[in-house]
Amino acid sequence: MEWLDNYWSTYNTLVYSIGVHALLALSIWLTLACGLLSLANAAFMGIGAYVSALLSLQAGWPFAAVLAAAGVVPALVALIIGIPTLRLSGVYLAMATLAFGEVVRIIVLNLEITGGPEGLNGIPQSTQGWHILAILAFTIYGLARLRRSRVGRAFESIREDDVAASLMGIDVARHKLFAFVLGATIAGVAGGLNAHFTFFISPREYGFENAVDILTMAILGGIGSLVGPMRGATILTLLPELLRFLHEFRGVFNGIVLVLVVLFLPKGLWEPRRIKALFARGGRA
Amino acid sequence: MSFPRKTLFLAAAAMLAGGALAADIKIGVAEALSGGAAQYGVAIRNGFQVAADEINAKGGVNGNKIQLVIEDEQGKKEEAINVFKKLIFQDKVLMIFGPTLSNSMFAAGPVANGAKIVAFGTSNTAGGITDIGPYIFRNSVMESDVLPVTVATAVKHYGIKKVAVIYGNDDAFTKSGYDVFKKVLADQKLAVTSTETYVKGDVDFKAQLTKIKAGEPDAVVCSCLAEEAANIMLQSRSLGIKAPFIGGNGFNSPKLFEISRLAGEGTFVGSPWSNVNPAPVNVNFVNAYKQKYNADPNQFAAQAYDALHIAAMALKSVKLSGNLEAARQALRDALPKVSISGATGPFKFRPAVTKDGKPGGFDADQTPFIYIVQGGKFTLYTGKK
Repeated sequence: MEWLDNYWSTYNTLVYSIGVHALLALSIWLTLACGLLSLANAAFMGIGAYVSALLSLQAGWPFAAVLAAAGVVPALVALIIGIPTLRLSGVYLAMATLAFGEVVRIIVLNLEITGGPEGLNGIPQSTQGWHILAILAFTIYGLARLRRSRVGRAFESIREDDVAASLMGIDVARHKLFAFVLGATIAGVAGGLNAHFTFFISPREYGFENAVDILTMAILGGIGSLVGPMRGATILTLLPELLRFLHEFRGVFNGIVLVLVVLFLPKGLWEPRRIKALFARGGRA
Repeated sequence: MSFPRKTLFLAAAAMLAGGALAADIKIGVAEALSGGAAQYGVAIRNGFQVAADEINAKGGVNGNKIQLVIEDEQGKKEEAINVFKKLIFQDKVLMIFGPTLSNSMFAAGPVANGAKIVAFGTSNTAGGITDIGPYIFRNSVMESDVLPVTVATAVKHYGIKKVAVIYGNDDAFTKSGYDVFKKVLADQKLAVTSTETYVKGDVDFKAQLTKIKAGEPDAVVCSCLAEEAANIMLQSRSLGIKAPFIGGNGFNSPKLFEISRLAGEGTFVGSPWSNVNPAPVNVNFVNAYKQKYNADPNQFAAQAYDALHIAAMALKSVKLSGNLEAARQALRDALPKVSISGATGPFKFRPAVTKDGKPGGFDADQTPFIYIVQGGKFTLYTGKK
């Protein structure tokens, strides 16, 4: 038992990180499911993290209220910026959301209350394993139900062809906005959870690099199902830790693994058709 | 036949006991060996290695060899937490050195403090680090201890009355350096003609420098990293600004003068370490480092070297029984009493004054070396000639 205790003490942060990254990957999966390539999720995560940290540090709110605020504030921001920007599509939307991310980062960098480039430290460690687990389970359940609902079908038709979808009577703009706002909420809550087990946040963590990391997790795992983004998040979080024995070279190996996946499994790690084909070929040979 | 078997058993038991007596002392080293902060982290690791080799060659601490468990924390906060936990719970080290960046210490320090194990920073200069708790130590001198001396020396040397300030406002290191400068300038009653900012990666500073020139300052105070500082120096000279520069810890890089060449003449810089300090312990360190790594040591390596010697001194009075927690606690209690004369000069700890009055960790109590730049080189300042 002692061995197990030690193991848990060592790796609980890693397990928490997997949970938070899974939430982030799901948040971008939601916008991707609606055909939107949005890179704003790192910024929404940052807003959630800063709002929750400030409420904990300055106002002393209870953790449940803090987490709720970490979801609500990014949702409101998403509502405001979503209305004008979601008219854009493809790379133009990606550019607009990227610019939004930079704006958020620079605002946080220059405000007094956010601690500027030095960030906020001494954030209480309120996040427990079961908080993350419960929120993740709830999110997965909600998204699974959503997929099978009228709204989920509408998302799918918008992703395939938004002109055809609008001709069938689907309010494209509203559905896109809904996906965007819901994604922002999930990302914000993930940010709030993350801030409360790492003691410290700074603007550096919510920049372009992290936006791309989140996207990579979803794409690597495969966006065909809900399990995909979670698988991507797990692998990308664990890989650097598993490769620790490679010392200085692990960054290189991490990169090589990603390149190989993108080259040979462009639709993500789990692509049923390809795997079936592989087995079929194996069977014949 | 039973007799030899018994002897064998006794011999084996004696060997086991002997092994337990001369056990290795496991000390964790968590530094950024890859990523953006690797240039500091690698130097720090090398400094530790030189010190460990030296201590072990002399027979270790009370006959126990020091074994460094070195891990890469990549300069990221999550990684720093993961590495700290691995060192504390898996490797069961006695104490941890690192992490490299102040930001990582803010994230990983509370983990060590909660587990009641010493986290000893050798390169964390930000304010508030030792507020984390009573298990946090550092021998890195804070900017707020160095800059007042630097500024006062420069003011005396040049007869400065008004200064201009330029700093990077998107970097934790240069921004906190600026905050300290601001306070120091106010304390020493120096007028500020203008305060200019830039962001990391800027290469053209002419707009800011033109404004600075209009104020005709006696000196330019610069809280910048070496790359930007070098460009600022070059461009200010080409704009005709003749005022000397006063710099923070970011200036402490040979790179500064590789790029700026002679544009930085007369610059004043404070540093916790001097490569030309003639004390035998420093000469010893510089030679050992050069021999092992075929490169010149820097301030970060020197501070790491001293840090391990400080820990070794404390370990001498620690009884290493089988109880890890007791040993960790004993080391924590022994550390504040240590004072040594190391490569960075005489050193002792000073209890931190925390913001909320709770017991904090321990800061370095050390006087900095002040340099003036002459002929494109750092020269120890020895008074007005």
